Amino acid sequence: MALKKSRKKNTTQSQNEKRDCNQIRNELLSDDASSRRWAARDIVNCPGATHMLLDQLNNEEEPSVRQVILSSLTQLGDSEAVEGLVNCLRSEDASLRNEAIEAMKQLPEEVAPIMATLLNDPDPDVRIFAVNILESLCHDDVEQWLVSVIRDDEHVNVCATAVDLLGEVGSEISIEALTGLKDRFTEEPYIQFAADLAMKRISGD
Amino acid sequence: MSDHNISEHDFDKFAEFFYRKTGIKFEPSKRYFVDKRLTERMRETGSDSFRHYFTTLRFQASGEELQRLTNLLTVNETYFMREDYQFRCLIDSMLPDVISRHDPRKPIRIWCIPSSSGEEPYSIAMYLLEEWEGINDWDVELIASDIDTQILATAQKGIYSERSIRNVPASWKRRYFKSVPGGHQVSEDIRDAVEFTRINLSEPADVRSMRNIDIIFCRNLLIYFDDKSRKVAAEYMYEAMSPGGYICLGHTESMGRISPLYRVKKFPAAIVYQRPLEAK
Repeated sequence: MALKKSRKKNTTQSQNEKRDCNQIRNELLSDDASSRRWAARDIVNCPGATHMLLDQLNNEEEPSVRQVILSSLTQLGDSEAVEGLVNCLRSEDASLRNEAIEAMKQLPEEVAPIMATLLNDPDPDVRIFAVNILESLCHDDVEQWLVSVIRDDEHVNVCATAVDLLGEVGSEISIEALTGLKDRFTEEPYIQFAADLAMKRISGD
Repeated sequence: MSDHNISEHDFDKFAEFFYRKTGIKFEPSKRYFVDKRLTERMRETGSDSFRHYFTTLRFQASGEELQRLTNLLTVNETYFMREDYQFRCLIDSMLPDVISRHDPRKPIRIWCIPSSSGEEPYSIAMYLLEEWEGINDWDVELIASDIDTQILATAQKGIYSERSIRNVPASWKRRYFKSVPGGHQVSEDIRDAVEFTRINLSEPADVRSMRNIDIIFCRNLLIYFDDKSRKVAAEYMYEAMSPGGYICLGHTESMGRISPLYRVKKFPAAIVYQRPLEAK
């Protein structure tokens, strides 16, 4: 036995064949996970792709297929994809929620227009997830959104999540809101601690 | 007036940010190296202070400046036997595990991406021949891919400087290299054993052709990708691998920050990532 070069072509004929969208749609429902993953990649050029991917995301149990679906939704990045990901934030499935958060972090321009709505959602968990999205959202308004949270949100856990992040990304413009946050939650030791820490980091002490 | 001074606080803030983005951790001992490059980029981008530059770095939607800085802060030099603890891990841990469930009629398939100028796949070939007894019982296919056709041609010629082969044991040098004008050429046997192919890891049609790979060496490539592309690349490699297959990243890279698809595997010589055996 030995080192040897591959004797067969790596590419099989079927892999090279152009598949039409109907075929790809059917493969998205295949019993074979690999076929579903490839269909989830290839479907992005088909009409109605976002809708089909979101449908499959909610029914898909294989994590590897879900990851590919999320990558394709991120690639599509249209309003329907963003809306579908937002709906995942309300899912009872913690994995799906976290996967949606990660996907939305990749869509700063698409998520930005709905961020204010997310940060004002009646469900505090959704507001916390929205702050989680801000953690890695590459957008100019991140600090301003966080300031609005610590200034206006009445839920201590939402504010605590936001103040942690402000300690990392905040600047002098956050100082006033951080001081105000301490005044709003005088009985919450964690808020006092986190706000002080954020201010210390911002001022560079 | 411009202030290109970088305070200790600035450095810590930058180091933390850069670590989160790339997995590359700069300790304070690297300050001279980092500061020099940061100052250069501040000047090039017309930033009047670190603060201004850092804002661009963090919030620029295209991520272009972060990429430029990353390129400056990563060392592209490659050479024979680089990070060879992973080759030791290949011999001592990964291959024994792979063959324990491998069909003996089929070859073991190892994929190096990027091939770059060939030092890595040739090092692996030499390691297999010199250090792995299993080579007497198994066929091994070694595939090396790169997006750059010019670098692939260089790799196929297999001519290297003295500096490039400085870590090759003397006895291996005698066995596998000959002196030629311009340097040292890898022996024909070894060159013939590696299949060089052009593959763009971001191109589905390219990656679709890769199948049943048992071990992937993808070192110091994904750090050049943005988050989306890095995740997609990790998903393509997952597709190319056999269940239970392994992937080795560069020592500053971590799959945990790229994709949740892989399982961390801690072997005595190295930490690598595995496509779960039970994965569909």
